[in-house]
Amino acid sequence: MNHEMEMIEVVFGLDPQWYAGILFVLTYLLIMTERINRAIISLSAAGLMILGGVLTQEAAIRGIDFNTIGLLTGMMIIVAITRKSGVFQYLAIWSAKLVKASPWGILIMLTLVTAMLSALLDNVTTVLLIAPVTLLITDELDVKPYPYLFAEIFASNIGGTATLIGDPPNIMIGSAVGLTFNDFLLNLGPIVAVLLPAMLLPIYLIWGRGLKTSPKNRQHVMNFQEADAITDKRLLKQSLFVLALVITGFILSHNLGQEPATIAMFGAAMLLLLSNLPRSASEQTEAIDGIFAEVEWITIFFFIGLFIIVYAVETTGLLSMLAHEVLAVTKGDPHNTTLLILWVSAIASAVVDNIPFVATMIPLIKNMAPSLGGHDALMPLWWALALGSCLGGNGSLIGASANLIVAGFAERSGHPIRFMPFLVVAFPLMLTSIAICTVYIYLRYL
Amino acid sequence: MASKGNTDLHPTASTLMDPKPTVLHTTDKIRKGIECIMENRYRRLPVVDDEGRFQGVFGVNCLLRLVLPKSVVMEDGLKTVPFVREDLSDLHRRLKEVEDEPISLCMHFESAQVSPETPLLETLLILYRTRASLPVVDTETGKLLGVISYFDVGEKILAAEA
Repeated sequence: MNHEMEMIEVVFGLDPQWYAGILFVLTYLLIMTERINRAIISLSAAGLMILGGVLTQEAAIRGIDFNTIGLLTGMMIIVAITRKSGVFQYLAIWSAKLVKASPWGILIMLTLVTAMLSALLDNVTTVLLIAPVTLLITDELDVKPYPYLFAEIFASNIGGTATLIGDPPNIMIGSAVGLTFNDFLLNLGPIVAVLLPAMLLPIYLIWGRGLKTSPKNRQHVMNFQEADAITDKRLLKQSLFVLALVITGFILSHNLGQEPATIAMFGAAMLLLLSNLPRSASEQTEAIDGIFAEVEWITIFFFIGLFIIVYAVETTGLLSMLAHEVLAVTKGDPHNTTLLILWVSAIASAVVDNIPFVATMIPLIKNMAPSLGGHDALMPLWWALALGSCLGGNGSLIGASANLIVAGFAERSGHPIRFMPFLVVAFPLMLTSIAICTVYIYLRYL
Repeated sequence: MASKGNTDLHPTASTLMDPKPTVLHTTDKIRKGIECIMENRYRRLPVVDDEGRFQGVFGVNCLLRLVLPKSVVMEDGLKTVPFVREDLSDLHRRLKEVEDEPISLCMHFESAQVSPETPLLETLLILYRTRASLPVVDTETGKLLGVISYFDVGEKILAAEA
């Protein structure tokens, strides 16, 4: 950091800290307005950081966390191929039939499936796969889809909290701190297992008792043939094989001495190879074009720009100053600092995008290491940040991208999820989940 | 609008159109739309407001949309549903649920149209691309002046001297 500081001489005659700080705040504000695409905002601001002299191009590239970028891209490619096999619809229908198409039973099962898939895939992909099947099932049952979609929003954010690859904040934290798949699973898995049933209880009390349907409608769902949802058995086998290898790779990554990005990208390459082997060269090009088109490039480039912006701010020493301010508020007490991070992250993530928030918090927390007793002493803070930023997304309809995707489906199905009615139920539930996390963190780490 | 003499030399959409087409009104119920389409085997019908202004079209595709689950026909909905087992009575039930709704529920508002002055070849090209009857609409008043069907065009072409 000091080396970078020495490189900064003049930024249009402005103080680099002011220049980078103002640009950073403007970037945040622009992202919040959602008036301009977030990838455009972050790349433009990153460009201005370099052109303004805060960073050189080489320094900016050093600031990009390619482990996060590689992990995200690799998993997006694997999911884009796997989803074509129909396995996710199979899982949803199979689980609905497992409970004999009982409306409340289906809500529980779809919640569990959503949480489980969110732990292994990104949340947006999960709800894109599950919400349409949910609407089909609720249509056949002739019940309101609102409780189901509401539960799935919560399940996607809670389930994503459990693993390294479940939610972008976890990928960023894991990559920046060197935490493994197992670290996340062992530290956040138990609390996720508590939070899911804890969230289902109020959903049952509010809506569950009113979910009733006729035996005829239940038979409609029981008539679904889940095996027919599998549209490509060969692809299914290949996808499950590669997905299993990748997950095993994540679990053993520490022993293998490999970064998650390498495992995910290699898995993606293997699945591309296997699924394209029977095709001619021109057919392969067309198929790979289609798969690459499904990668969320907006998210990837948003990340790239954001890493540069945050790195630029960090090099000016601004985040170090902020870290000292936070420690001054908590009087340098690790307990208070951990709980402050948990609650501030949760409330902030309910209203702002948790990705830029976490990108900023990571270097800020790292700067606290000397005052709190070294890197090992920061572990509770990392778990607090992961829990707060992932679960905070449940606090409002704009708290997470997955929430907005589900709201879009609800609107198109004629059962809209409105901002205020959602907030009235979701925000207290989110605060409850953070209160449970407070107890968990206190008992386990403090 | 082009003069009579001019359209003889250079035919336009107005030369080809049926000036008295069957129409639906925005206040009509879906039930009436279904009856009209099924009785006359129309592929689609223009929809006008009380003052005769063109509003959109209602056709067989709308009917198909009504009998399918919303989760299938919505944007980003299910791409395939080979696992669903339904019979014709299920589809009829779905249709009956909406037959007393106004046709605006599922009519197409963004429909290809031509003005009466649109030249012959351009009109045919739009008809070819639309693959359905083409409304002729007055660009100033928005009123529906007629409809051009494949058969209107075929009759006029065959009646012309080669």
